[in-house]
Parts: sequence; C-alpha cells; structure tokens
Amino acid sequence: MIWQQFQGLIGSYPLALRGLGMTVALSLISLVLGTLIGFALGIVRTGSNQLISRVIGAWVDLIRGTPFLVQIFLIFFILPELGIELDAFTAGIIALSNLAACFICEIVAAGIRAVPNGQVEAALASGLSRRQRIQQVVLPQAMRMSLPPLVGQYVLLIKDSSVVSAIGLTDLTRVGWLVVQRVPNGLLVFAIVGVGYFIVCYPLILLARKLERRMGTAHGEVQL
Amino acid sequence: MIEFRGVNKWFGALHVLKDITLSIEPREVVVICGPSGSGKSTLIRCVNGLETTKDGDLIVDGQRVGDPATNMTDLRAEIGFVFQSFNLYPHKTALENVTLAPIHVRKIARSTAEAAGRELLARVGLADKFNAYPSELSGGQQQRVAIARCLCMRPKIMLFDEPTSALDPEMISEVLDVMVSVAEEGMTMMVVTHEMGFARKVAQRVVFMDAGGIVESGTPEDFFSHPKTDRSRAFLSKILRH
Repeated sequence: MIWQQFQGLIGSYPLALRGLGMTVALSLISLVLGTLIGFALGIVRTGSNQLISRVIGAWVDLIRGTPFLVQIFLIFFILPELGIELDAFTAGIIALSNLAACFICEIVAAGIRAVPNGQVEAALASGLSRRQRIQQVVLPQAMRMSLPPLVGQYVLLIKDSSVVSAIGLTDLTRVGWLVVQRVPNGLLVFAIVGVGYFIVCYPLILLARKLERRMGTAHGEVQL
Repeated sequence: MIEFRGVNKWFGALHVLKDITLSIEPREVVVICGPSGSGKSTLIRCVNGLETTKDGDLIVDGQRVGDPATNMTDLRAEIGFVFQSFNLYPHKTALENVTLAPIHVRKIARSTAEAAGRELLARVGLADKFNAYPSELSGGQQQRVAIARCLCMRPKIMLFDEPTSALDPEMISEVLDVMVSVAEEGMTMMVVTHEMGFARKVAQRVVFMDAGGIVESGTPEDFFSHPKTDRSRAFLSKILRH
C-alpha cells in the first residue's frame, strides 16, 4: 500500500512543482513590493510629520494585530463589493505585500531611530539636505542594523504565504490538500510540503545568520 | 560675522540663555568658558541652528538665523562644526567622511574633492589613514578627521564644542595643534573649551558664562590675570589649580 502511495506521490510531482512555483512567485513579488513600500513607510514614519506618522503607526498596528487569514478574506471578498474586480492571485499579492510592508516598516523605523542623533547633527551641520542626510548618513547605518531582522522577517512572510491557499490559490499548501485526496497519507504528504517550504526558507535563514555575524565585525560600531 | 542681540532661550521652564549680546568679528577667535550647565554649548549650537532661539536676533554672515527667509542648509554649509563626540560617519572611511559634503553640497567633482581631502588629511597628520574607518582610529585621530571634514567645505566660520573633552590627555595636544594652525590662518572661530593654554595662545577674547548669561569678557591676559567677578575667580581657581 505504501508503494502505491509513493507512486501516487511521484505522479503528483507536476502539481507539486506548480505549487512550489506559485509559492515562490507569490513570495518573491510580495517581498519585493513589501520591501519597497515598507522602506518608504519606515522613512516617512520617522519623519517630522506627526500626523502621517501616526496614521502609518495605526495602520501597522491594525495589520499586526489581526490574523492574516482575516485580512486575506477581507481583501478578497470586500474589494469586489466596492466594484474592484480582482482574481485570487492579485488579492494574495495585495494582502501579502501589505503585511510585509507593515512589518518591514517597523524594522526600518527601528533601524533609523537607532542611528545616534549626533550622526544626523553632523550631517545637518555640514549642510546636507534632508534627502542627502537620509541617503548618505542615516539609511546606510540603519540598513546595517535592519538587515538581519529583515531577512528573518522574509522567512516568516514566506511561511505566511501558505494562508493564500484559503482563497483557492494553488500554492504549495493547497497542493498538499489536493494530493492528500488522492493519496490518503496526510503525514507523508504534509511532511513533503514542509520540506518544500524548508528548501525555500533555509538559504534565507543561513543568509540572516551570516549577516548577523558579519555585523559584529563590521565598521558599523558607534563611536562615542 | 556672528552677532547675538538680546538672545533668550528656554528648555521648558529652564532659562538656558539669558539676554545674550555678543559680537564676533571676521578672523576673530573667541573662547567661551564657564562651568558645566552654564549654556556655552547651547550658545554655540544656536549659531548654526542646531538649537533654536526664542527671542532676540542672531545674525550670522549677514543672515538672520531662524528667519524663514534664511536658507539654513546653505548657511550651515558655510559654518564648520566640531563636536565633542566627533560624530564621524562610521560607515565611511576618513577620506569619504571628509569629501561627502564637498561632493554633495558643493557639487565638486569627486576627483577634485578627493585631492583636497587628501591634502587636508595630510595637513592634520593623517596622510597614512585615508582609507581607515573611524573605528580604526584613536579619539585624537578621529577629531582631526572631523576638523578636516569641516575645513574641506572651506567654511567662513568654525565652531568647536568642547573638542578635546572626550579625549585621553595624551591626545589633546595633537588636536589643539591643528586648531591653533586653523586659527593662525585667520579663520573666524568660536571655541567652547577649558583649554586655557589654547585660549592664551590664539584667542583675542575670552567670554565667561554662568547660569545662561555672559558674566565677563575680555582678552585672555586680562581674564586670566585679573578676573573681575567672584564667579569667574571661583571658576578659574578650580580649573587652573590642576
């Protein structure tokens, strides 16, 4: 019987590849978008405009304080009510990018706040404009501090992408559900699904660890 | 060059600058001293707008500081500021620290800025440290890079906020030597320091502050030999005893 199950699994490999491809595509697009938006939000969040900063803070809290599954349903079922037609893939991208942007916003903002005030004063005193101060002095130092937690966050977000199977996207997790109907061995099927996620995430985990180690020996220590 | 007319400043309820009136001429070197908490750092930080003033006028290089019509970014480019804690950019080499503002603010070609930067670093005795990061330099070396960083902008005014207070004793003179050479070239300088040897050597005037106000000002000779007030006598007896 085990042998038959293995044959069934092997027969399912095109579907599994499709699921893996969907998970990777969804994660990749969302992480790129989320990183870009998250950086912009993080910079604005630490800027001088209190009102905008508060609005972003409230949005980030809201997203961080509600389950991702609920967010995905809201986007997938409510936006069409408002006349915005969207397919499951677009809805997944929007939900995951938004989630990524919110977490990355906080990571970037924390990095920016950790740059000593004297650095900003030195840049200010030498006549650098706000844009130049951010680009040349603040962000490079904030990045050094933000990079390891950022990569760690990527891993969490890739795993969160499994929730999009709930709106019918054929990602790795949904492939698991489909295959299990053909091959009635949940343990085996989902162990393989787990391995699929691990293969995508493990290089990032290694990268995060390497960055963290490199940070310790970098020239980034603050001199007082 | 720098003119305070009846300047006041409060931190909340604390009156940190009291009715400051002080005029500094081009090429003049003025040393500001006084006990800690007397407002001397606040005073010098007002000149390039790192602190804002409450009332009174502060005119620097013909422009009113804090006036919406004054472009503070442009004004700051003309004023070098040396911090007590150096504040070098830790992610940039010594040469990159020195050339950053000339390249981005003055829009000088990178090669020209680097040539000027190398020359200035050599002048402050760091010809072998162009590519060193701040974390690889001693405090005295870092402060000399910080001075070169200001000089590379060819400023009209240099402000020094306790530049040697964070340094080990054996490194103080290497920084003071550089400051003396800058003063001797005719730079307009405002220096918050307790280094009385430096004051005697290059300052035209010593201003003594206490509790947010200017108590006394005069030539270094007068101030050190014949302090006029009890407060300045008490201060001098404390710092000169050692």
